[in-house]
Amino acid sequence: MHTEKLDNILETTGKSSSELIEVLQEVQKTYNYLPEDILRNVSEKLEVPLIEVFRVANFYKAFTLKPRGEHILTVCMGTACHVRGAPKFLDEVLGQLGIKPGETTEDGEFTVETVNCLGACALGPVVVLDGKYYDHMTAGKLRVLIQKYRNKSCKESKKQ
Amino acid sequence: MNEYVTLTINGSKVKTPQGTSVLDAALSYGICIPHLCHMPGISPIGACRLCIVEVVKNGKSKVTTSCTLEVEEGMVILAHTERILKARKNIAEMLVAEAPNSRAIQDIALRCGVKEVRYPFRNKDCVLCGRCVRICAETWQSKSLGFVGRGSERHVALPFDKRPEFCKQCNDCINVCPMTITPCPGPMKKGEEFFCGLCESQLSMAENIVDTCVDCRLGEGFNCLRAKNK
Amino acid sequence: MNTITSMKSLKELSERTKKDNQKYSKIVTLCAGTGCQASGCSSIITSLHEELKHKGLTEKIKIRTTGCHGFCEQGPLMVIEPENIFYSFVKPKDIPEIVSETLSKDKIIERLLYTDATSGKKITYERDISFYKSQNRTVLEQNKLIDPCNINDYIAQGGYSALVKVLTKMSPEEIIQEIKESGLRGRGGGGFPTGKKWEYCRNAEGSPKYVICNADEGDPGAYMDRSVLEGNPHAVIEGMLIGAFAIGAKHGYIYVRNEYPLAVKHSKIAIQQAEELGLLGKNIFGTNFSFDIKIVRGGGAFICGESTALMASLEGKVGEPRPKDIHTTDKGFNDLPSNLNNVETWANVPFIIKNGASWFASKGTAKSKGTKIFALTGQIKNTGLIEVPMGTSLRKIIYDIGGGSATGKRIKAVQTGGPSGGCLPEELFDLPVDFEALAEAGSMVGSGGMVVMDESTCMVDVAKYFLKFLLDESCGKCVPCRVGLSRMLEIIDDITKGKGTEEKMELLKETAETVSIASLCALGKTAPNPILSTIKYFQSEYEAHIKDKRCPAGVCRELIHYSIDEDKCTGCGSCLKACPHGAISGEKKKSYRIDDDQCEKCGICKEVCKFNAITIS
Repeated sequence: MHTEKLDNILETTGKSSSELIEVLQEVQKTYNYLPEDILRNVSEKLEVPLIEVFRVANFYKAFTLKPRGEHILTVCMGTACHVRGAPKFLDEVLGQLGIKPGETTEDGEFTVETVNCLGACALGPVVVLDGKYYDHMTAGKLRVLIQKYRNKSCKESKKQ
Repeated sequence: MNEYVTLTINGSKVKTPQGTSVLDAALSYGICIPHLCHMPGISPIGACRLCIVEVVKNGKSKVTTSCTLEVEEGMVILAHTERILKARKNIAEMLVAEAPNSRAIQDIALRCGVKEVRYPFRNKDCVLCGRCVRICAETWQSKSLGFVGRGSERHVALPFDKRPEFCKQCNDCINVCPMTITPCPGPMKKGEEFFCGLCESQLSMAENIVDTCVDCRLGEGFNCLRAKNK
Repeated sequence: MNTITSMKSLKELSERTKKDNQKYSKIVTLCAGTGCQASGCSSIITSLHEELKHKGLTEKIKIRTTGCHGFCEQGPLMVIEPENIFYSFVKPKDIPEIVSETLSKDKIIERLLYTDATSGKKITYERDISFYKSQNRTVLEQNKLIDPCNINDYIAQGGYSALVKVLTKMSPEEIIQEIKESGLRGRGGGGFPTGKKWEYCRNAEGSPKYVICNADEGDPGAYMDRSVLEGNPHAVIEGMLIGAFAIGAKHGYIYVRNEYPLAVKHSKIAIQQAEELGLLGKNIFGTNFSFDIKIVRGGGAFICGESTALMASLEGKVGEPRPKDIHTTDKGFNDLPSNLNNVETWANVPFIIKNGASWFASKGTAKSKGTKIFALTGQIKNTGLIEVPMGTSLRKIIYDIGGGSATGKRIKAVQTGGPSGGCLPEELFDLPVDFEALAEAGSMVGSGGMVVMDESTCMVDVAKYFLKFLLDESCGKCVPCRVGLSRMLEIIDDITKGKGTEEKMELLKETAETVSIASLCALGKTAPNPILSTIKYFQSEYEAHIKDKRCPAGVCRELIHYSIDEDKCTGCGSCLKACPHGAISGEKKKSYRIDDDQCEKCGICKEVCKFNAITIS
């Protein structure tokens, strides 16, 4: 069992039950998702009932219980982005990848997530792909962007 | 020694121990306020909102649930104003459309005056009253299940959807569920969304409520003729 | 670093910083707020540093990276002091020219200047730009003068002198009185009088008491709090210190959205720097007043902006609101007295103490005092953050500051107050923006989001958008909010698909009323606002959807058709290539056609067509 990583996390956050969200945020950062066995451990160490841990993990958008894809595409669905046409290209990209928001493509390449507002409203519609902001997005531009990332990882896997 | 406070509910003076909820105080005096998620001796969550009342303070009225409201000296409560009755009826209508199979909920809807359900049926088997969740946590200290997710995704679940070893299998969660009190015999099929009439609480009989009262524990204190006649 | 223990040592530090700045002939201010970072300002900062080093100008010219200046649309922004020359859309390749021309020879580079949206003239100085000119900035003003990671910058602007004033000259009661007299009301949306809240919390029984800063800015289309916390974290900290002293609190929390990494970083640095100077921590300023602040990151839930949900979340629990029959000032975080105010409210406090209650109260309207920051976004020319006195008319904000429509289409509505607010039509643009006037019109000031909509926006679709948002963000605890909103969404979804009926409209209104009366918390109680306000002011659009099965704005997919105008089509074939659904057919050089059954209405063809031949009907 890899409890070592968890112990390291708990050393910085402390073991008070009020630190649960902070601990889960660190776990999410370390593992890229919240693995079940780690959550069971968290429950024991922080002395928080297991159902509470499970509830918190399901309630907040920052947490996922399934492993996420290689590339994370975050589409801002804020009001400003909405009136400038964000829903159009969200549907388009979901169709292109064949998934729903929050899901990961079968090949584990892309995870598409929506966010309520990134606070970059003046530049909308905005998407974030692997931490990089793309402003004034359109359905066509996004399609090309995804294709570019697809090709890039294809090439890389061929090299290997 | 309990300290007592006096308050007014629907114009009647009511004397009740401190720390009581307005709902319990009303019920103990036979003043009928409908409720679903409330259970005696279990902490209230104010989720079903059926027991809403108006609290009048400094000439202003505020709507809140009577189950979560603690009695105060001199409090003025109006439980059956037109505004409250209308909202309550609409909530009951929503509930019965969520789970038309539940006899308990049909009963509540009838007593709140629902005669027609304008929303399409959803045939769910849970209305998230949280009776199971609280009885497990509070009576048995087990915390084997809880509300998971949010918005329309919210549901009652076990941790990681597996029964934990500390569940005592007491079955209380099932016993207190409004869906399991003499449930309707068959789930409704698509396209056949009407009350089947196999249980007595069918909507067409709303006028004859006295004969159809099922005396379910949930119904205690509802605004039904039977209670008035007693 | 020595700790500050007297007014004298604070003034000395302030003078020293000012003197240091005078050594430089020019100061280049670069906006590094999230907006400008998204536009790529970080590479500009690096190139400027390199260029100055290369030219040996680092002794003469100072670079100050600051928080958001507000004019995000024009980013990345650069302001050159002391003249306040304003450059917009700066790119890394412009840097050598800026250094050799403007910084060395005082020559203005025309192409980097801002072009006025209405007159088309180039404008050199920041103060002459209409976007800035029509504002009245207090809190935001400091953003461009301060490097948020440098406490000395804040002190040079008079920072922490308000704290020193209250610690040495004022009693807690006097502070509360001052805040009450100023008329400051909560900037987070509720508009509750701040002084009164402080007084409740001060008089509440229980110890320790807490002060909490709500930086869980979840409203889509609003980013005031982010910009203040990112750009001027010390103002928030100073405000919290003053509040804590007045209330008698020992511990403070800043609850900040996880989606705002920069705000988290800057406030962490600010706290550390304040602690080093002895302005935060034990025995502040050598007195027996001790106070600490901890930063807690939210988990991504809109509902956590609600006070009881926020406090549950602080305790590490699921953010579900509880009934507010007992106020959080009596029993809040850990069941102890807790005073929660929003970022902007806290940031206003030091200014009130420094300049006096009457200074603050002289701005605004009878019941809404002071200035308020708004995020002006949507289909408008000048998008960005603005700060105006309460009571400024919507028209002034939209046309004088915002510059009017971005697309040339008529502006028909402005949505204020976030998801719980409402949509106000053009007829009401002369309304003064204050708590009462907007509430009366069926909307609210809220936290300060303003989304401008032109004729290409479908109001039914907007109402649907907010409903969907609120249903997703509802905690799901109570029936009216969870079931009621989903029923409303069901009905409105049918309307946008041309399946709406008059009876269903009535049911929609009745359900909306129930939700607003019976819901547990403010999210549910205000959730019907977007629906009710659009029904009230844009009835005709609903009617068009229901009776004529038509979407006047051309937004609702089930009700629109894409077609190709044969006269305009040149047969270039770019739409055929671009269509991902194979809905376009035809031969090159001849006209193309769109197959309605195949068309998914994604709009890519319209986007790629250079001849404007694709029409929506």
